Amino acid sequence: MATVSFRGATRYYAGNDKPAVDGLDLDVADGEFLVLVGPSGCGKSTTLRMLAGLEGVDDGEIWIGDKNVTDVEPRARDIAMVFQNYALYPHMTVHENIAFHLKIAKMPKSERDERVQEAAKLLDLEQYLERKPAKLSGGQRQRVAMGRAIVRAPQVFCMDEPLSNLDAKLRVQTRTQIASLQRRLGTTTIYVTHDQVEAMTMGDRVAVLKDGLLQQCDTPVGLFARPRNVFVAGFIGSPAMNLIPTRVEQAGVTLGGATIPLTPQQRAAVTGTDVIVGIRPEGWDLVDPADGLAVTVEAVEELGSDQYLYGSSDAKLLSEGESVEHQEAPHPIVVRTPGMSAHERGQKLGVRPQPGALHLFDKDSGERLPDA
Amino acid sequence: MSTDAVVTTLSTEDRPVRKAPRRPKPAPGTKRLSPLRVIGTVIVWLFTAFNIMVLYWLLGAAFKTPLEIFRDPLALPSQLFKSGRPFRNFIYAWDTADFGTAFLNTVLLVAVCSVVIVLISAPAAYALSRLGVRGSGPLTGFIAIGMGIPFQTVVIPLFIVLAKVNLTNNLFGLGLMYVALSLPFTVFLLTGFFRSLPDELEEASAIDGASPTRTFWSIMLPLARGGLITALILNAIGLWNETLLAIVFLQENANFTLSRALFTFYNAASYQSEYGGLLAGVAIIVLPMLVLYILLARRIITGLTLGAGK
Repeated sequence: MATVSFRGATRYYAGNDKPAVDGLDLDVADGEFLVLVGPSGCGKSTTLRMLAGLEGVDDGEIWIGDKNVTDVEPRARDIAMVFQNYALYPHMTVHENIAFHLKIAKMPKSERDERVQEAAKLLDLEQYLERKPAKLSGGQRQRVAMGRAIVRAPQVFCMDEPLSNLDAKLRVQTRTQIASLQRRLGTTTIYVTHDQVEAMTMGDRVAVLKDGLLQQCDTPVGLFARPRNVFVAGFIGSPAMNLIPTRVEQAGVTLGGATIPLTPQQRAAVTGTDVIVGIRPEGWDLVDPADGLAVTVEAVEELGSDQYLYGSSDAKLLSEGESVEHQEAPHPIVVRTPGMSAHERGQKLGVRPQPGALHLFDKDSGERLPDA
Repeated sequence: MSTDAVVTTLSTEDRPVRKAPRRPKPAPGTKRLSPLRVIGTVIVWLFTAFNIMVLYWLLGAAFKTPLEIFRDPLALPSQLFKSGRPFRNFIYAWDTADFGTAFLNTVLLVAVCSVVIVLISAPAAYALSRLGVRGSGPLTGFIAIGMGIPFQTVVIPLFIVLAKVNLTNNLFGLGLMYVALSLPFTVFLLTGFFRSLPDELEEASAIDGASPTRTFWSIMLPLARGGLITALILNAIGLWNETLLAIVFLQENANFTLSRALFTFYNAASYQSEYGGLLAGVAIIVLPMLVLYILLARRIITGLTLGAGK
């Protein structure tokens, strides 16, 4: 068990002047479950592979506990990794797969067998120990990969999208299993995923990356409630937050007939003339089209418990001065309504943001404006 | 949106019992009878028939008297069976040509050489294809050039070199030649093989604490087993049939390999019009390889194509 810290860790790939991971500073507490999330190509896997020692670190340092492991080879780092496609050794039985590290570490056979049995029991793999990986289902293979990691009792678990090869139902099941297993073992875990639902449900903290840069690292609640910039706001939450550009005026910003006043600090933080107003789909009140932002429903997504209305607003969101094209482009709006509500395609609705459901960002920098 | 629900019965009892077709229908357009397809099929079958014919003629003739061979080339052998000595030709060939010693020499030489070739090629191919050694690309290309040099063109220089170190007329010297000349092809075959193995296994092994050598022996080599066996078989067959080098480098009967012994036997047998015996000698050499091929054909083909796709 140990802390992990990235200190300005940077990684370039050959033939690309833009680093895949750029000056990453991140501290992970002992026993913490940290999720790295971001769109593909954001550097999350590279970060994990740097920690595992599978990639070199071009600049900066990586520490595990009080040891600088930047130039230490993988086998001396005392970490375990679960790969996306599990990377089980196909010619070995489940038992041999799980015991491979212990065998290399020259652990006596009796102790080795005991440890394997223990791990197998924990993961419900006891009856499969003599099988080869090819004879296992996807979920079982995933558990073997987990077994191979936990049998070592390492300082850190590295998990690289371990659930992405499972079907949807099993993924949800395994998600909770992994999270509760980690809490029970108390091993520091770095978990990479592109699925923000996985990130929000599993992590103690979630680090959002984009283009190799850390955007925000916070608890799931923190990320959801106070996204630091437009990217995080749009990335976290499903369906995504509505991000509507508006012009700053004398009284504040106006959206669908409602005027949102800006505090002096907020005004000072606006670098240009526009502000992006962010409202989550659940942050709207339905009103008469004349009273709020007029929206034409284009699609209804019925989930049973909830219903999402995908529409576009016909209102001019930016006032004079903006190009004609921009003024008239209908802006997509997503609204959450209770499940089984009687809404239909083509219906005209009025929506108004609920008080307190607003997130304000500077349009030019994308940064969040200070809260009122 | 329609609100009508579709009602289906879930019970299977009242459905009529159906039988699956003997052969499932192929995808549309795949079974068309095109002229190219017909020509291809005809050529393949003609080729196969010709080869089977030759084999039949060889085996038949090995059991015939010279007179039968020329008078009824395609008839079944009868004369020797009637006289109660059906294996007369084989016995004649085995005794006259000293095939006993040659057989032992060949089996030993081929077995040792094939194993040594694979033992050297496998680590070389692994290092070239997976360790990311500097210059491994050009080096692989350089080794591949070796495949393009016909060894017939370098026989004389090779002979001079071996003569200088007193290794001519010596099975060890010949084995040395065999190993050296087979390495380019085998290394090249195996690089393709190792390259097709997934990276993650090496990474997993590195994280599990295995050294590169350990990873090679415990993980990569077992996974490349198919490729290694293919390399072993292809080399064994090639070396078993090798004649030119054996003729050039071996002079003493005691050192002869099968193909070399057959060459000597050919001169003797044709002089004595012992064509039955000669063909029996050919059969003795061909049959073991034929059996090996029949037993391992599937393995060889999967081995050769395995590197091609995942």
